[in-house]
Amino acid sequence: MEEERVKLRIYGMTCDDCVATVTEGLKKQKGVIDVKVSLRDGMGEVNINNKEIKPEELLRNKVFTRPSHYKAIIINE
Amino acid sequence: MSEPEKFDLVIIGRGAAAFSGAIKASELSNGEMTIAMVGTGPIGGTCVNVGCVPSKYLLEASHAVFKPGNPRIAGVDRAKVNFSFPEVMKGLRSYVTHARETKYVRVIEGYKNVELFTGLGKFVDRKTVKVSDTNGKDIGLITGSNILIATGSRPSVPKIDGLRETGYLTSDSIWGINELPESVAIIGGGAIGLEIGQALLHFGSRVTVIEALDSLLPQTEPEIGAALKEILEREGMKFHLRARVASVTRTDRGKSLELITHKGKETIEVKEIIVATGRVPNTDYLDLGKAAVTTDSKGLIITSDKMETSAPGIYAAGDCVSKRIFLETLAAREGVIAVSNMFAENLRIDYNSTAWAVFTSPQVAGVGMTENEFSRKNGSCSCRTFSLDNLTKASIIGETEGLIKITVDPRDNRVVGMHILAPNATDIITEGAYAVRNGFTIDDIISTSHIFPSFSEGVKLAAQSFIRDMSKMSCCVE
Repeated sequence: MEEERVKLRIYGMTCDDCVATVTEGLKKQKGVIDVKVSLRDGMGEVNINNKEIKPEELLRNKVFTRPSHYKAIIINE
Repeated sequence: MSEPEKFDLVIIGRGAAAFSGAIKASELSNGEMTIAMVGTGPIGGTCVNVGCVPSKYLLEASHAVFKPGNPRIAGVDRAKVNFSFPEVMKGLRSYVTHARETKYVRVIEGYKNVELFTGLGKFVDRKTVKVSDTNGKDIGLITGSNILIATGSRPSVPKIDGLRETGYLTSDSIWGINELPESVAIIGGGAIGLEIGQALLHFGSRVTVIEALDSLLPQTEPEIGAALKEILEREGMKFHLRARVASVTRTDRGKSLELITHKGKETIEVKEIIVATGRVPNTDYLDLGKAAVTTDSKGLIITSDKMETSAPGIYAAGDCVSKRIFLETLAAREGVIAVSNMFAENLRIDYNSTAWAVFTSPQVAGVGMTENEFSRKNGSCSCRTFSLDNLTKASIIGETEGLIKITVDPRDNRVVGMHILAPNATDIITEGAYAVRNGFTIDDIISTSHIFPSFSEGVKLAAQSFIRDMSKMSCCVE
């Protein structure tokens, strides 16, 4: 296993329930180890096992696809 | 220089691709994505300021002057239209201003997440862009998690002896003229040259087109290029094909061009020269090497069909991208695709089903492959050419010069190309675009009802000509 930290800019969150929905959605994805989501700056940090999941696959998580109104991009640093 | 200002997305450019990208990004992010849009020149880019909008305005104005003098209906007398060319040009510029204000300036003001930077953008590294004014003075640094390059293109000017000193107009500068040139030489017989050429011809200029190739509009079927040339010649346009301009000089009477043609040397005298020999991408200033973005030999940015460049997180869209068709609508589509893929939406550009057009009268439009292109690729093809002579609507209005050619894959009758020369080819080509994009067959076209009498019916008749002898058809056979 190779652990990789992926930073996300998450759009569409307005309350703590949104944070919980996004966090839960990401945690359910195969290969996701840990998730931290911040409402204040609309950011997320996701630790993944990059043998099981590629960073961009996080963006295709059900929580970021229609009819969900949340969307995300990867922050390239 | 101070710390870079951080954005989610930096867009370099402010034309069609940049706007469509910014708007799509705003929609996808509920207006939360922070976007920097960097550029110089009038907002809206080529299309609205110096491209599609003014050229179509000029063409329509010129047809309004020309057509009453050339009536096509029995019993309608020839009429001379009085017009003021300076007033036409004033109206054109006023409309361009209106279109820019309503479709671009006010639109972008409504997006509070978009910050405009007026200046030239240049890469410092893969994530950082330096913005400077046109004198090279630094304005600031900005960074983007994603970057979209949408810097467009500008007219190319060939190296011809004496051209710079003698002076010339391009598709960027012609919109500022107030006096109709008595005679013009247009270097380049592509879409831009033919459109401007016919507009000036219809206003009363004497127009000569000089083209290096041996035919007009090589992207279309040869019979369409030949038919358009014949129509334009009948209207009075002169052509020098397989010719190049060796030198240009200023004379007492205007400007003199020395041509080298297949017949030898020839000299023509005109009042004005218009250069329409293609366009070059605005990528030279970007310092793309700093971002590891690769270009082709012409400086056009190489992208995947998802509009990704060679550098992760950097996308490109519009006329600065390496491809075979350059259109405003395509630039806008590429902008949408680039931004959508930043959200991992996995969209891809399909150049093959992109319709293109030339707005001469009659118009030329096409989509997909020509007969020759499909044959070269697959060894054989099946095609039919339908003449507008056989179309009731064309006969009624007296505009029968034109044709519709459909190419199909003989294995399954799927439409792989449609090319049209018709008064409203730009409107009816969309049926071809649907067919090529969705793999429709000629039977799909035939079994769809088309209005009678109309030019769109010609598309159905062209499809029917694959299965019937047109001379044995009444006008109502389904």
